[in-house]
Amino acid sequence: MERFVIIGAGAAGISAARVLRDFRPDDIITVISTDEKVHSRCMLHKLLGRERTVDGINFVGTDFFEQNDIIHIACQTVKKIDTEAKTVYYGESYSVPYDKLLIATGSGFFIPPIPHFREAPNVFGFRDLSDALKIDEAFAKGKRVFIVGSGLVGLDAASALCHRGAEVTIAEMAPRVMPLQTDDYAASVYQKVFEDHGCKFLLGIGASGAVVDGEGNITEVILSDGGHVPCDFIIMAAGVRPRIQLALDSGIAAERAIQVDDHLRTSAPDVYAAGDCTGLSGVWPDAMEQGKVAARNMAGVDEAYPKPYPFKNTSNFFGVSMLSAGRMDLTDGAEILVHKTPKEYKKAIVTNGKLTGYLSLGDISNNGLYLYLIKNGIDVSGKLDRLFRLTFADFYGINEKNGEFAYKV
Amino acid sequence: MKRIFIDPAKCDGCKNCSLACMESHRQDGGRGLYTLDLTDPVNQSRNRIISDGMGGYRPIFCRHCDSPDCANTCMSGALEKNLETGLVTYDKDKCAACFMCVMNCRYGVPAVSPDRTRIIKCDFCAHLEEGPACVRACPKKAIEVREV
Repeated sequence: MERFVIIGAGAAGISAARVLRDFRPDDIITVISTDEKVHSRCMLHKLLGRERTVDGINFVGTDFFEQNDIIHIACQTVKKIDTEAKTVYYGESYSVPYDKLLIATGSGFFIPPIPHFREAPNVFGFRDLSDALKIDEAFAKGKRVFIVGSGLVGLDAASALCHRGAEVTIAEMAPRVMPLQTDDYAASVYQKVFEDHGCKFLLGIGASGAVVDGEGNITEVILSDGGHVPCDFIIMAAGVRPRIQLALDSGIAAERAIQVDDHLRTSAPDVYAAGDCTGLSGVWPDAMEQGKVAARNMAGVDEAYPKPYPFKNTSNFFGVSMLSAGRMDLTDGAEILVHKTPKEYKKAIVTNGKLTGYLSLGDISNNGLYLYLIKNGIDVSGKLDRLFRLTFADFYGINEKNGEFAYKV
Repeated sequence: MKRIFIDPAKCDGCKNCSLACMESHRQDGGRGLYTLDLTDPVNQSRNRIISDGMGGYRPIFCRHCDSPDCANTCMSGALEKNLETGLVTYDKDKCAACFMCVMNCRYGVPAVSPDRTRIIKCDFCAHLEEGPACVRACPKKAIEVREV
């Protein structure tokens, strides 16, 4: 009987646990997590917006561990891994031995070195359940929120708090909202719907300092242009960093992220890593996939993990949905195609006959096709006249054996 | 495990399958094609028949894939691959309307609902004992349910 231990109960950790159980019905699987309950971090804004309960953002069902006969050690942080004795140390002085270990510690929010920000008790991230609960508590005391960063995480928090009547100010260093996913037009559409719901944006402006009270709480944010914004608390949404401290403390190779080979093995024998902590990608689907691939390798299947394509995301705020895939920045020889109606906006970047970027605002149905074309570098040079009307019918093929579809290119 | 097999060579593009799908999933309580509002996007079909421009047709139906892009990327647990029935099931109450599935289905099958609160996807007519309405409506037997 083998003993499998998984550190982390996010997308990668949970998907790994599920696959391991499928492969190994009788082995011992243990999941150790800092958070008390399994939750989808992509739904934290639903919790903060009071649209859902904690159980309502659980993505596997509240009886997942019982159903799958998995030991869940909750509310415990792993301190160290002894890779020679093959033992994980957690909490005060507990330990659990492993034959195969998966590190899926995810990533944590990053606070830039702005005076007072790192020490102030009223500066929160928005990554984990505990973050959302802390924000909820702070919100009960004051409704003026200052959000640093207008990426998906920042806007998630803003939309949730807007629903609850907060006074939200969002500072964004870039000249437009969601700078990684949008172009100027798409950004202006999102900016407007947020403004219509009471959010205020400060674009091209960062936080450069703070005024604090006697307890170190920030009461005013000092902006890079010299302005002051009074606030009750702050949410940091200016990027994340892979959580690597545990790996570093345990002598496992890591620089910005935990180093893994193409089978998601770390530098230590029988220790694997998956999800955000590997730095391979920062989006949910890729973390799920990495968890599965790592689990299959841990179970003895020899499977390489294909390089992920992390430049993709969707958002859906106040009924405005957007999909962005690939790179929207232009390289030499790139061609821009735009389709714009009162209800829709679509933009494609074509480089050397291949689709390299795609942005869609409005009804994003059928757009999965474009992500596939980008990811697989499929030539579309003969189809540019109807690029925005492509469907799978343009690449139609059927796998006769099992009846599934297959791309014909 | 069941799947709707497609023989595009037999398809005449009559779209009876699409009408049957719309009728099967209508929510207004009415019955019969004469009262079905074909212009209301709420009633949209879960399958599509697309002309190849050369007299042939390419039916696009949810494959309930063995390794489904949609369920693999779902972050709410709303989409799940049922290993016993083979179906990819959808629970709209769990769905957080993030549209990861829409972005990741390489065949462009799951559609965003008109109000952007859920997705619209083939459910194999789970509410009908006799199975998918589209298959029964096809006069050419271009689609049929087979065991895989």
